[in-house]
Amino acid sequence: MTVAAGLGYVLLALGPSLSLFVFVIAKKPFLVLTVLSSTLLWLVSLIILSAMWKAFLPLKTTAWWPFAILLVTSVGFQEILRVFFWMGYKKLEDILDTFADRVSKPRLYLTDKMQIALAGGLGHGVAHAVFFCLSLLTPAFGKATFYVERCSSMPFFLVSAIICLAFVTIHTFSMVIAFNGYAEGNKSDQIFVPAVHLIAASMTLINFASGGCMVGIPLIYFMAILTLLHCGRMVWRRLTETRSRPVVS
Amino acid sequence: MENSILESIGVEIIGVMSPVSICMFLVVLLVYVVSPNTPNSVVIQTAANLVYLETPTDTTTQKIEGSLLNALVFVILISLVTFLMVLLYYYNFTNFLKYYMRFSTFIVLGSMGGSIFLSIIQHFLIPIDSVTCMILLLNFTIVGALSGFSQGIPIFLRQGYMVLLGIIVAAWFTKLPEWTTWTLLVALALYDLVAVLAPGGPLKLLVELAQSREEELPALIYESRPTINQVNGRGGSLGLLVTGATTSSSVELQPVTHSNEGNQVRVSPENYSTSDYSTGEVGNVPANVREDEETSPLVGSFRERQSTCSASNDFSTVDVERLRARNLENRDGEISEEASPLVDLIRLENEREERRNAVVGSGAESESILTATAGIKLGLGDFIFYSVLVGRAAMYDLMTVYACYLGIISGLGCTLMLLSVCRKALPALPISITLGIIFYFCTRLIMEPFVVGTSTNLMMF
Repeated sequence: MTVAAGLGYVLLALGPSLSLFVFVIAKKPFLVLTVLSSTLLWLVSLIILSAMWKAFLPLKTTAWWPFAILLVTSVGFQEILRVFFWMGYKKLEDILDTFADRVSKPRLYLTDKMQIALAGGLGHGVAHAVFFCLSLLTPAFGKATFYVERCSSMPFFLVSAIICLAFVTIHTFSMVIAFNGYAEGNKSDQIFVPAVHLIAASMTLINFASGGCMVGIPLIYFMAILTLLHCGRMVWRRLTETRSRPVVS
Repeated sequence: MENSILESIGVEIIGVMSPVSICMFLVVLLVYVVSPNTPNSVVIQTAANLVYLETPTDTTTQKIEGSLLNALVFVILISLVTFLMVLLYYYNFTNFLKYYMRFSTFIVLGSMGGSIFLSIIQHFLIPIDSVTCMILLLNFTIVGALSGFSQGIPIFLRQGYMVLLGIIVAAWFTKLPEWTTWTLLVALALYDLVAVLAPGGPLKLLVELAQSREEELPALIYESRPTINQVNGRGGSLGLLVTGATTSSSVELQPVTHSNEGNQVRVSPENYSTSDYSTGEVGNVPANVREDEETSPLVGSFRERQSTCSASNDFSTVDVERLRARNLENRDGEISEEASPLVDLIRLENEREERRNAVVGSGAESESILTATAGIKLGLGDFIFYSVLVGRAAMYDLMTVYACYLGIISGLGCTLMLLSVCRKALPALPISITLGIIFYFCTRLIMEPFVVGTSTNLMMF
């Protein structure tokens, strides 16, 4: 139960991203680089955030409102960062397009752009899973397990892996939504992403109540599925639009 | 539809990053598996701690002074050895150097590798008798020693042994005490910077000497030669290439891929200095192509030889030949169709090829990036010290491992970018090691309380 359990937790949190990586990302070197740089960006954002909160840590575990402030500031910071990420991506897209013109290859297809967005999102998601879940999993590979008092029905590692999976999904696909929203200038999509992120993050506050994780986790998964559905609908719409339209350029 | 530029950008970078990642991953695994819960059990004595043996009870000043001394001595030793190598190379003792490299590979694989295998066997209680183990180890080391500078060895095997050597030495170095490791890494990064970039630096001399003689460096270097891409990386696109040849819609991909392949073949070991095609002026493409066709019997024999020696395992000579032939026909057809874009394409391809020629490499035990004819080369020292950093981070926590890994990889990426700008040998250690160390301490001191505090309360965002 030791190594097997540890691996199980890892795969629970990262299994879907792993398969995404193997089947979509790994074939195209550029997407791998995108994943790496987006992971790095997330790590840097986390370091900056923790540097800002360093003075106030460790938080008292009795009151929930400091955590609420922490979550709100963190999500806000990361969403601002996403806008910068988009700007950087925009420049990159121009460079890629001019490069494609120079080698007289076709410019980036719509699917290419979406794949870049997906890779960026996957980087964020993987970084989240790695730092919030995987890095705490080391004890799970040894004997025994660990429970937190507030969520006594499941081992702590299992809970965090499950929550992580939801967040990985949200991060991955909300990046696709956000990039598309920025590209189209679609205000509702632009607001949808931070809203989902914020709501999902604040739903982890429910875990603060004793036994709250049984309520909080389904709610987080509801948000994850909502993101997935929205992303799927949007991608489908874009693809059918471009297919029905005669190919320009 | 599939021929977007996403697939062609960054192949070289990934070709270097993936072995480095594999090396680091295995070192971390080794550190976790083999030496768990045994702090300060064995203090090893190597060249890296000649002066001062760190013990956990020493005061901080003692540790700092001692480790600084250690690092200084180690760097001096390394630079002496490198200067000696330069001298030997200058006076054309190339064979001596090669055999010395083989010998040291043999010793490292046999002794250090042997002891690591032994501890793995002990840890997992693998039932194996000593005679079998000895025979296996002997075979393993001999193949490793031979793979170094021989021509007949598949490049895949050579690359594998390079990574393995890196892993073994790095795993050995992770047994160094903590302070010594950190100062050593910093000192080596500085040394690397000086040795490669400063005028009169030993590695710079070595690289320039090798370039002026148009020889391969007699050093332990990982080559991500494009031939491996052709076999591994392009393995997937080979089918696409062949099938794409029948449809005229994806014409534009073909010339690039196979002019690329043409270059790769020509640039391979023995005759890379004669790669006039890849570096020459391409003013008149059809003529060039005709020339290509005319010389093809000759080149074909070359190819045959090379594909027997450099194509790895399942890629038989016959297949390569047939594919080449098909490519040639294919190219012929395209030229008649559209000549002018092809000119651009090939010229650009050549530009890129040249840019790719600025390369990464190293002096024997030390580390840097250097220039050679094809593919990016990374010194074995880079592998080792990246992995030492990550392995050291692994002794603290997994979080620091990830942070260090990202720091090192992004540093490597920056170095490779610089390489394409500067087009000369560059040190690979400084940027990566600096970033790695910064991320390590940021993570350990700043980030960990934050992340652990939030996530043990099941708060995430």
